[in-house]
Amino acid sequence: MRKIHGGTGAAERAGEKAPLLLRLAAGMALLGIAMLFAMILAFALPAFLQPGPGGAFGWFWRPYQGEFGILPMLAGSLLLSCSALLLAWPLALAVCCWTLSAAPGLLRTGTRAGIRFMTAIPTVVYGFAAVFLLTPLIRAGLGGAGRCWLAASLMLSLLVLPTMALILEAGLKPRLDRLCLGGQALGLSKLEILWFLVLPQSRKTMLAALLLGFGRAAGDTLLPLMLAGNAPQLPGALTESLRTLTAHMALVTANEVGGAAYNSLFTAGALLLIINAVVSLLARRLAGRPGNLPGEQM
Amino acid sequence: MTEGPEAPENIPEPEAVQLPGSVHLQDLSVNFGRHQALKNITAAFSPKGISVLVGRSGSGKTTLLRSINRLNEEFDACATSGQVYADFGQGLIPLYDNPDLFLPDLRLRAGMLFQNPNLFPVSVYRNLALPLQLAAGFPKAELPDRIRQALTSVGLWKELENRLDLPAERLSGGQQQRLCLARTLALEPRILLLDEPTASLDVHAAKEIEDLLLQLAGRYTVIMVSHSLAQAGRLGSRILVCEEGRLSATLDAGADFSEEMLARLL
Amino acid sequence: MTSHMPGEGVKRPPLFRLFKHCYGLAAPLLLFCLLSLLGFLLYHGAPSLNLSLLFGDVPPLEAISGRRPVWDGLWPAFTGTLCLIGLTMGLALLPGIGCGLYLAEYASPRRKKIIDSAVDILAGTPSIVMGLFGFTLILFLRRTLLPEANTGLLPASACLALLVLPVLIVGTREALEAVPESLRLTAAALGFSRSQRLRRVLLPAAGQGLWGGLILAIGRCAEDTAVIMLTGAVANAGLPAGLTAKFEALPFFVYYITAQYQTQEELLLGFGAALLLLLLAGGLTLLAHGLETGYRRRWQGGKR
Repeated sequence: MRKIHGGTGAAERAGEKAPLLLRLAAGMALLGIAMLFAMILAFALPAFLQPGPGGAFGWFWRPYQGEFGILPMLAGSLLLSCSALLLAWPLALAVCCWTLSAAPGLLRTGTRAGIRFMTAIPTVVYGFAAVFLLTPLIRAGLGGAGRCWLAASLMLSLLVLPTMALILEAGLKPRLDRLCLGGQALGLSKLEILWFLVLPQSRKTMLAALLLGFGRAAGDTLLPLMLAGNAPQLPGALTESLRTLTAHMALVTANEVGGAAYNSLFTAGALLLIINAVVSLLARRLAGRPGNLPGEQM
Repeated sequence: MTEGPEAPENIPEPEAVQLPGSVHLQDLSVNFGRHQALKNITAAFSPKGISVLVGRSGSGKTTLLRSINRLNEEFDACATSGQVYADFGQGLIPLYDNPDLFLPDLRLRAGMLFQNPNLFPVSVYRNLALPLQLAAGFPKAELPDRIRQALTSVGLWKELENRLDLPAERLSGGQQQRLCLARTLALEPRILLLDEPTASLDVHAAKEIEDLLLQLAGRYTVIMVSHSLAQAGRLGSRILVCEEGRLSATLDAGADFSEEMLARLL
Repeated sequence: MTSHMPGEGVKRPPLFRLFKHCYGLAAPLLLFCLLSLLGFLLYHGAPSLNLSLLFGDVPPLEAISGRRPVWDGLWPAFTGTLCLIGLTMGLALLPGIGCGLYLAEYASPRRKKIIDSAVDILAGTPSIVMGLFGFTLILFLRRTLLPEANTGLLPASACLALLVLPVLIVGTREALEAVPESLRLTAAALGFSRSQRLRRVLLPAAGQGLWGGLILAIGRCAEDTAVIMLTGAVANAGLPAGLTAKFEALPFFVYYITAQYQTQEELLLGFGAALLLLLLAGGLTLLAHGLETGYRRRWQGGKR
């Protein structure tokens, strides 16, 4: 019989375990994550178990009549993030293709720096500027209250665009670099190489960018809270008001209604937690190794 | 599991057995995930002269070298089977699965030199002092002496005597590689494992290193991977040809090997 | 862009031709939006960027020493944010950097996978859910061990710590993994034990990269609003009085002014606060990015 050495962690083979402090640190980090899930799911459990009338899964939010449905908010979250992505994803792709293929120049350098800088802008600052700049414009141009689906959707797309552009660039650039010389030798322009050769290879990256953009858009609180008007209804038009799950959570805790209203709060939290967990796991699987996605940590 | 810490049962080349510094590979296989880098290699390296490993890239030369100081284990998904025996002065001891062998000790006694001069991003002095102090555990008072000796033995002392505080990255390529050799020699190894030590140097610097190696060959067991057949011919007292994870030929200096003959074997 | 290719005569699909004509517009459009928002903020906020923005009518020294409360300046919100950053970092540093080191140097592939997934999930969790975590934690404590538990500085920092944890973990791990493999091997070949190698060779080599992650985490902590909204930020708390006291913070102040401003002066204060926050968060992120770029250039470019 022959002995096989190795197979697990290099450190363990080398006969050395991680120092206690590091193992403790990793344990603490995992414990924090576990507690996050445990607490929120435990508090949301009653609402999931009793989906009766007046519970969280109804289409009406009328606290004074005992109705605490959050389905309009769920729909609001989905509508708002999807509409924001509809605008932001093609733009992100265009910006990314342009910075990758255009000749270097002041505008290109400026665009790259601008995208980097945009990931650093606090969302509350975006919201603040939009309340005083964008909403008056919408009110004057399209009528209505100004704080509406359209306003929130425009600002959200501005918020997620740099994240998506950075992910796309990180995924497309190595492939482009590999194919560039060969393609140009065949008489193709950089843009043509991108469009006909690189993009078809990069479906996963593009989908990952879309998913992570969705996660950011659905998880953002301040922009919908400040810009979407917050009426708990299904909007009929872009100029109407809507309320997202995140904004709903902020409003309910601010007003301290208590009781059944809190149930809706926990349900909304659990829904967001689950949606975003699935989205980020899927996106990372698509984009390959974690940590290859810049911007996500911004 | 028949292999204990006693000597191997069938010794490949009896003449080399009793000499301190000899190395035996027995039925050695190394896998990285599904890729088998070494396939059941049995070989012996004698402490006399320089043994040179040659072969195409990907033939397993470096893996073979690294199996002797167990550096392959620094990579995930590496699995080794078989055994390596080495004599550090107390008879042949097994290097794998030996609870009495402390891994850092093995690496001190089998020193390694890489293709690129891998200096730490600190001063010349600290580059030598750090491993001496941390890995070998020499008292601080001995360090200046040992460092002077090590630098002298590679012919760097005169050049660097007054510039020990210089960042090591500022030295020339040849100086850097000699400094690396000094750093390894300072740890008082018995075996030297050299992985294409002149590949990143210009002709002149390579010549300096080659001359140094010929001087050292008497005192250490030198096993070296080379990319150049001419160099193998100049330095080697024995040449081993690697091919797809196996040793396909072994040539001794006596059997007048020529470059053409080697080229035919590859 | 280049139009003298021999293939120019070949007809391309219509979607491509549309894209080719329009894609150059996206970047200027983006820059236009960014610049108009920034310009708007600067136009209204820049005039109020001076000492009285922070301290109001109170002499700065008396405000800083806490002898006189500041009612019409950002000082309480600013100190609140600084306290939040300090406490959060105090809580998050050990698990964040420690877990990053563990992942980069010690974890077996299986464990790496598990921890990576957990960190991914945490990184994707919306900040308001982190706030809700603090909120439920307090409710839980009230019902069980601590009937007097309430929202305040410490719970808010704990939730923020969870929020910045992935930033620290990923930053630390990437900084260490960017250290060239050769340096790692050399240290091993010279007989360093793993912990010696980590402490004496890898950590000094990764230093600058570690700072990048750290500063990014600070920026994240300074800008986040949703977490503290649910865990104890209020508009009129004055200087933070203790670990369990309510507190003010810059981002919350900006939000509050948007919703509740009464006078023109308050609105101007809001512009000042937004600009200050932008400078703080933007400056920190750019600094982190600069450090990381320099770090990468050092190991991947250059003569090595």
